[in-house]
Amino acid sequence: MHGLMERDAASQGDMANAVTRALVVRAQNGDAQAFGELIADHYDLIHRTAWKWCGNRTDAEDIAQDVCVKLGQAIAQFDGRSAFSSWVYRITLNAVRDLQRSTVRRARHSDAYAEVAPEKQAAEQEEAATSGQLWQAVRRLPDKQRDAVLLVYAEDLSHAAAAEIMGIKEATVSFHVHEARKTLRGLL
Amino acid sequence: MSDDKHDPFESLKGAAAPDPRAEARQRALAAGMAAFEASQKKTVAPPQGNLWGQRLTSIIASLKGKKIMDMRLPLGTAAIVLLVLPLGYQLYTTTSMTPADVAVRQQPAPEPVPVEAAAEERQELTVASDAVAAAPPVVAPEPQPVEMDSALADAEMASEIAPQRGVVAPVPMATMAPAGKMAESAAMPGPTATEPSGDQFTSFDEQRLKAVADEPVSTFSIDVDTASYAYVRRQLEDGFVPEPDAVRIEELINYFPYGYAPADSAEVPFKPTIGVFPTPWNPRTQLLQIGIKGYVPPAGEDRPSNLVFLIDTSGSMDEADKLPLLKRAFGLLVDQLSANDTVSIVVYAGSAGVVLEPTVATEKAKILGALDNLAAGGSTAGAAGIELAYRLAEQAKVDGGTNRVILATDGDFNVGIDDPDALEDFIKAKRESGTTLSVLGFGRGNLDDATMQALAQNGNGNASYISSFREAQKVLVEEMGGTLDMIAKDVKIQIEFNPAVVSEYRLIGYETRALNREDFNNDAVDAGDIGAGHTVTALYEITPAGSGAELIEPLRYGQVTEAPAAGGEIAFLRMRYKLPDSDVSQLIEQPVTPDVVYGDIAEASEDMRFAAAVAAFGQKLKGSNYGSAMGWDDVAALARSGRGADESGHRAEFIQLVEAASLLKPDTDACDASVSGEVCE
Repeated sequence: MHGLMERDAASQGDMANAVTRALVVRAQNGDAQAFGELIADHYDLIHRTAWKWCGNRTDAEDIAQDVCVKLGQAIAQFDGRSAFSSWVYRITLNAVRDLQRSTVRRARHSDAYAEVAPEKQAAEQEEAATSGQLWQAVRRLPDKQRDAVLLVYAEDLSHAAAAEIMGIKEATVSFHVHEARKTLRGLL
Repeated sequence: MSDDKHDPFESLKGAAAPDPRAEARQRALAAGMAAFEASQKKTVAPPQGNLWGQRLTSIIASLKGKKIMDMRLPLGTAAIVLLVLPLGYQLYTTTSMTPADVAVRQQPAPEPVPVEAAAEERQELTVASDAVAAAPPVVAPEPQPVEMDSALADAEMASEIAPQRGVVAPVPMATMAPAGKMAESAAMPGPTATEPSGDQFTSFDEQRLKAVADEPVSTFSIDVDTASYAYVRRQLEDGFVPEPDAVRIEELINYFPYGYAPADSAEVPFKPTIGVFPTPWNPRTQLLQIGIKGYVPPAGEDRPSNLVFLIDTSGSMDEADKLPLLKRAFGLLVDQLSANDTVSIVVYAGSAGVVLEPTVATEKAKILGALDNLAAGGSTAGAAGIELAYRLAEQAKVDGGTNRVILATDGDFNVGIDDPDALEDFIKAKRESGTTLSVLGFGRGNLDDATMQALAQNGNGNASYISSFREAQKVLVEEMGGTLDMIAKDVKIQIEFNPAVVSEYRLIGYETRALNREDFNNDAVDAGDIGAGHTVTALYEITPAGSGAELIEPLRYGQVTEAPAAGGEIAFLRMRYKLPDSDVSQLIEQPVTPDVVYGDIAEASEDMRFAAAVAAFGQKLKGSNYGSAMGWDDVAALARSGRGADESGHRAEFIQLVEAASLLKPDTDACDASVSGEVCE
């Protein structure tokens, strides 16, 4: 379908990628400043992803911070074989899954955000964009299906890229998306 | 990407998540940096130390070093090594400096250009390495050229570094999938690592019935915690039956104040009040109640306190019944303090650090201001909160008073020491040096009751669960003395039953507090502590010898030892305690004589009836094998008869709770048959 993830990502901006790679190398060599730039560059991506997956601010911020910490601890283990952003995605998705293992949290928040009340402050109304019925339904899908759907559609990545992030085969991504469609048939 | 027409998933596209808040972002970045620096210290620092000690040698030697290291790799990588070495050499010569340079430029950060070159080089190598699975370890050291240091390495150093690399190497070897996992597992336990599914409780088996002939002696530690009652109440009020392990009967009973005889002096800080009366759920057995009340120092005697609040400000604390409640609760506590008390505040998780240096408690505005400024947000990350808190406690240490860290959390215990055992040891060590720890639990869904209990027990403090402002008032105002002013520590109780009078016994509750018989006289064994005015109640259900209510068959071949009658004594009570500043225990002994036996429960004191009702409630609620025969109505009636003056209203509230429980867990008809009190499964 598409080329390698790296090529795909590279098309978004070779410059940015080169800078990221350089920062990664420097950070791996212990350059704290480089690491700082690196997470500053990626914080928005992490936060946005966490938000889309969870649909509320508290969890998104918790996850984003967790991911920053994990990056700090694990950057030396990043092997450069995939794009750095894929790696970050992967860690973020793992953090989401961990957080939501606490089923109580999951139920509480997804209910709390199911409706956006009109009296919500303007700032919070942005949340409406990711709080519709469809979003709710997608967030409640089994982890793999949810990850596949959100990566492919909400994040607009190729199946190959999603496959790399999820650590599965490309065909399996398509399968999960298909399964998700089946699961949500009543709703869609 | 997708060929579907009218694909509903398409509408997921383009949705914008709200922008991150600046402070959350900043906090996250700071936490990330902290973690990064911490991990750097671990991994990078040692080789660096080596480097600086042995630098300024030939660059060729460092290449030799690389070669030696590479030779340790599997033969399969040999081909790649041959490819990599020339490339690496070229890198050194193009992007790194000559030894002459090195002498001048030790510190400056690598320039971006060479780095990029290195990165790209590395990228190529990575692609090449795809051909041979084990290649990445070869690649891994490659970024080294960017770092000046590696150019300095000599053969010796390289051979030293090799084993270290060996430790790191397997990680780059991993494919993408495990790498993610590894990042995961290498990370410190996030909120989920400790609480996969909501609140956690230590599981325990109910105390079983014991035959006096087999085990005449029963030993346990007192427990003044009340967290279980507050938790159970909250669950019932919200319409849930709490899980059995959440119901610790001794904490239910000890939640209520009882009017036991006060102690006479601080030297003998309590004296036992004993009663024996018929068991409400089994007419053929009796309850033996032992109550003690901690000595209350006369008003005017104001012992200095040095309190350090260690407050969890993780994102999950951002709920009405957590941080906001905590602020108001601590406001209450601060109001109770006087000019010779100091307060400090340390936060962990969301934000980290000292919020308030030790401050005299009369500067209320300053303290309350600091409390008000606390905000929850972010995650629980590596701030060494607990060490900071103890450092402040030592800094403001008062002699002859209370030095205490009060940890307030909703269940995130990553206060800086990850390993629970290490944390307990740390707290225990600090306890020895005079700083104790109390834990206040807040909220629900994340509560880690087991850890709360363990920490408070190790810290010689108490664990309370603050479910509401009212509860905060009880713990921090009504029982402030008990909470802060310890009058005796390591209080142990041992009962020896007289086999001539009692054939079987069962301690109600205290499952998590049981001690071995030999622990009683061993002063090294830790036990519960009692604060000023605290009341502690223990109940035994005893079966009088020859009553025919025995559940345990006597041994056919057992020796029939006629115990000395000892004047009809029922049992003999021994209590050991240590005065707060002493390490040597004192002993209180008292026989349980027939004088304290009441023939009818109506004759027993109100406190006794009430405690029995609470015990019955707890047993029913947790589905105990004992006491289920008593209906909820009877429990409520018994509690009502024992309500007494009830100035605080806690007992009236309990009666309401019994009614709530009766609706949530109705009596089953099956059990009504066994009114005789036999085991009702």
